[in-house]
Amino acid sequence: MRDAYVVGAGQSDFGSFPEESYRSLFATAYEEAVESVDGEFHPDAVDEAVLGTLGVGGRQIGLSGPAVTEHVGLHGVPTTRVENACAASGYAVRQAVQAVKSGMADLVLAGGYEVMTDASGDATRYWLGVSGETEWERLSGTTFAGVYAQMASAHVAEYGTDPDALSEVAVKNHSHGAMNPHAHLGFECTLEDARDAPVVADPLTLYHCCPTTDGAAAVLVASEDVASELSTDPVRVAGVGAASDAVGLFQRDTYAGVPASAMAAERAYDRAGIDADEAGAVTDALDFAEVHDCFAIAELMAYADLGFCAPEDAGAFVADGRSDHGGDVVVNSSGGLKSKGHPIGATGAGQVVEAYKQLRGEAGDRQVADAERGVTHNVGGSGGAAVVHVLERASEVSAR
Amino acid sequence: MSDDAAPETVEASVGSNGIRAVGAYAPRNRLPASEVEAAWGSVQASGVGEKAVPGADEDALTMAHEAATNALHADGTDASSIGLLAFASTTPPVEEEDVAVRLGSTLGVPETARHESFGGSTRAGTRALATGLDADLGDGELALVVASDCPKGEPAGERDQAAGAGAVAFLVVDDGPASALARGTFVRPSPGTRFRERGSERVDGLGVTSYDRATFTETLAGAVDDLDSGTGDEGAGDGGLDVDAAAVQAPDGAMPYRATGALGVDAEAIQRVATVHDLGDTGAASALLGLARALDDPDVGPVLVAGYGSGAGADAFVVDTTDAVPAALVLERDDERTLSYAEYLRLRDEIVPEPPEGGGAYVSVPSWRRTLPQRHRLVAGRCSECGSLAFPPEGACGDCGSLTAYEDVQLPGTGRIEAATTISQGGAPPEFAQQQQRDGDFDVVVVAFDAPTGDATVSAPAQVTDVDGGSVDVGDDVVATVRRIYTQEGVTRYGFKVRPAGRR
Repeated sequence: MRDAYVVGAGQSDFGSFPEESYRSLFATAYEEAVESVDGEFHPDAVDEAVLGTLGVGGRQIGLSGPAVTEHVGLHGVPTTRVENACAASGYAVRQAVQAVKSGMADLVLAGGYEVMTDASGDATRYWLGVSGETEWERLSGTTFAGVYAQMASAHVAEYGTDPDALSEVAVKNHSHGAMNPHAHLGFECTLEDARDAPVVADPLTLYHCCPTTDGAAAVLVASEDVASELSTDPVRVAGVGAASDAVGLFQRDTYAGVPASAMAAERAYDRAGIDADEAGAVTDALDFAEVHDCFAIAELMAYADLGFCAPEDAGAFVADGRSDHGGDVVVNSSGGLKSKGHPIGATGAGQVVEAYKQLRGEAGDRQVADAERGVTHNVGGSGGAAVVHVLERASEVSAR
Repeated sequence: MSDDAAPETVEASVGSNGIRAVGAYAPRNRLPASEVEAAWGSVQASGVGEKAVPGADEDALTMAHEAATNALHADGTDASSIGLLAFASTTPPVEEEDVAVRLGSTLGVPETARHESFGGSTRAGTRALATGLDADLGDGELALVVASDCPKGEPAGERDQAAGAGAVAFLVVDDGPASALARGTFVRPSPGTRFRERGSERVDGLGVTSYDRATFTETLAGAVDDLDSGTGDEGAGDGGLDVDAAAVQAPDGAMPYRATGALGVDAEAIQRVATVHDLGDTGAASALLGLARALDDPDVGPVLVAGYGSGAGADAFVVDTTDAVPAALVLERDDERTLSYAEYLRLRDEIVPEPPEGGGAYVSVPSWRRTLPQRHRLVAGRCSECGSLAFPPEGACGDCGSLTAYEDVQLPGTGRIEAATTISQGGAPPEFAQQQQRDGDFDVVVVAFDAPTGDATVSAPAQVTDVDGGSVDVGDDVVATVRRIYTQEGVTRYGFKVRPAGRR
């Protein structure tokens, strides 16, 4: 099977833009992606488009994919909407990679969009809730914050995790997001800010929860031939892995981790030829990771599910700076969902946008030193779906 | 009708059945009279020191479930042998629809059993008991008689200040140890003493004091005078009734004592088993809760049960026991929550806004009905391939993955918490926002429910009830009960919740 490359990637600002529409936000992301292409990009060259959105608020749910591709002038391009809740556009990128690797397409637009902040808090909670298990879990009275808080309780009970580690995640990701001009909540916070914030669902405080965000992201995935024409510094998709699991937490093998994430990572690492070291960690092979930190506990669980450390060491992993610049692997250099924001359908593609910038040395103040290889990790719901991409600098890799 | 038949009496016969076990329940929320006084400046209701108030997820159906479960527990049996379910309430959660059927479903009463609902006045309770005592029960067949009520009134007035909450349940068999030695009944047309207009939740009355009192005492007296119509010589003679206690309808804490002369009993006999002073007016359950207290007290012999309902009508029974009657009464509770008047208004839904816009997680009523065995009775499934448990029992087996049939396994309802959190203000899903505004933060957990036998467990999400938010942790033992889950499209969905083990 042939390789797939990312030859362009861009995003809108993530934030609260109630006067924007899903179309206008996507147009901004598409334009930034097109501008990031080194060579001359022709829209006619796009063979296919795969776009992710949940449709929060009940706006254009049917045919929202064609609605945005036609809007940006990609007339006639076959477009499919992908829905896997918060993992929608991570899966859209994966579909694009599949299309290219299979030989069916040479250039595919992948991305996502979501408008969330123009609805009332109650309406938003309804729409977030419909991606949880609705018949049993939701009707026990939980929101997503509640389900992730339950996972936190299980993590504390099983591994003795210090709840302060949740606040450490918030502090780190806000410090990263403060350096990201696209971030929704681009400000720093202290450990006390995070710890003492109002409790949303014990032990999660407001600072342990990502915001609801408007935004869009777009990624251009190309075959090797097209990549060599369009890009002087392409990013190779070294591995993709994805997995599903029970949508309800109560039907999973563990509550203190996300089994779908671990399965997806194992598959992606296998494709990318990444082996764990003697200690079982893959951090030697990675420089950075964009992980799905919708709630702070999700990042702690991702450390173990993605092979950065043992689950019982997750709290120390962040507290000791091992997931920060200068540590084992820089986690969420973009600010993550916590600080950059979480426009549901755009999040997974947005992670690839960050990886693209990091690997091309275009991440500005938040640039990860000598970034050669990174991973993106996108989760749907509380773990019903997960997708992991391993991305690397094509020139560095071929020189190895 | 012949002219010589007295129009005011109805012939009653003493059924041969007897009570074998009794259960009772009152909510943990209590409003002391001092809070009423602080709010209104004085207390209109006499003799109600404290009253029970249903939680936001409780109503007459869930309290009936609790009382019935307690009775079954006291008896050590399950609902599978029940041939008659008689449910009495003046405050069923819906004005039209047979609530007894859903109550039966939560208990596991066979669908072939007689399901009878009684309402219309507070006499519904004693009418239900009469039906149970009269039922033609086969060998080993049980009648379950449940009375449950939670009246409301105008908050400024005596009726609401007295209005309490409680439920009582009796298991009746043809040879039960507590049987009626005599029965009497009496009606007298007397409108306006206590009524609730169509569409209203609030009990009203004209407040014509002398008329109200005369109607109450004379109707009860008529039923007691009629006692000898059953076995001949049990009626109140000049020397009064030979009973140790009198379980008398108590619309407030003073009214029953006004009937001592009419009933032929003394005040002490009434006070001995009265619940009105602690629970308030429990409507259709009022007199029967007194009977439950009497049956639970080994020192109480014969007891007069005097049920009354406006309209007016009354039933009288003299009940005596030949053997101890197992009882599980959850009335005084060590987990009682004392309410402020503001909390009372919240719980009563007087000051809570309408449910938020945005809708809920839509589960249609027909698809909800499909899951009633799980919602009401925790029916799990055992995989026919690998033998592991599944909840809900559908789809591929979570353990072996085979898409197979499941054998029904009713879980006993005990379990341990595997994951827990507290949903704080503003964090509840829209369909639970109103419950939280009324009752405060609540815990939601994943529970590993025990199998009937063996060490296997099966997990399910559940809300924790009967405790304040933040009361439970991973590892805690819990027990399932049935509560209101939420209401959508006007249809209240009932399902299992859990509470800490040993809290009842």
